Amino acid sequence: MTRRVRLDQRLTWVTLLVLAVVTYLGIVSDVLLMSVDCTTADVCRFSRQGVLFYWPPVFLLTYAGIAYAYVRVARARGVGTRVMPYAIAGAVTTLLFTAAWVAVRIYWAGRPLPENPQPTSPWLLLLDRLIGPWGMIGIALLVLARIERNLALFAFTVGYLAVVLVPINFGWVGNGSNVRTAWVPDQVISGTVLLLGAIGFALAQRRQR
Amino acid sequence: MTTSEEDHPALGLDDVVHQRVRLGILTITHEARRVEFGYLRTQLELTAGNLSKHLSVLEEAALIEIEKGYEGRRGRTWVTLTPAGTTALTEEITRLKQLIARVQPTNPAP
Repeated sequence: MTRRVRLDQRLTWVTLLVLAVVTYLGIVSDVLLMSVDCTTADVCRFSRQGVLFYWPPVFLLTYAGIAYAYVRVARARGVGTRVMPYAIAGAVTTLLFTAAWVAVRIYWAGRPLPENPQPTSPWLLLLDRLIGPWGMIGIALLVLARIERNLALFAFTVGYLAVVLVPINFGWVGNGSNVRTAWVPDQVISGTVLLLGAIGFALAQRRQR
Repeated sequence: MTTSEEDHPALGLDDVVHQRVRLGILTITHEARRVEFGYLRTQLELTAGNLSKHLSVLEEAALIEIEKGYEGRRGRTWVTLTPAGTTALTEEITRLKQLIARVQPTNPAP
């Protein structure tokens, strides 16, 4: 009985589908709005303004939309919903990511480009990926998995976060690759993982119902 | 009903809560937070009249709240647990666990 109620309260595939769509759309704004200034062949100053201007409002709209859809569907099915903590977690992660990115922009704004740039620490890169929109999607999904007591979503999210935090690189980043499109493959992979998750959860839900 | 530590756990079971259908109603409502009359009827495989009787018993005991309203032209009845209902369900589950612990052998035979 309890399992039946939990299944009727879930709308996992819709959540993942919406997140996949906004991730794909985010690629366009990232590429088009990025400002790149390459003074030499090796050193470029870039600013991912598309990420900063696109994601905060889109995140807030997305989480509000997902919460609304959960409430509507749960009401139609005749049960209450547990989605509010997820929407709140989404808003908090949005604020966290926005504050971090604004802080980094302010930090770099008044500084000259380093003459002899050193490789960034792997831990700093990991933190950078976690604090980005794609990492924040994963953190909020962990909250959703917890409140839904959804072990399958938890396992999926752990896999998703592994892909986001340890990006796959088949040589498309570095070696003179275009700065403007350097992050496109990572975002395509993140969006595709979410999309595949949406398809998987939709098929599983169809079988269970 | 209040019981001391030495009393048998069965003595602490509340008849209002323990009845099969009412325990089902409380369990589903607790999990769903808020549940519609038709959903309960389907899940518990009851007739509308039978479910109404059990809901009345629980409402009289102040374990649930019943809210009637409309969605469009369709009337809908929603059931929520009261704090007393949540406490009663928690106590019932505790008593049942105590009973199971008494019946189950501590070292099952191989």
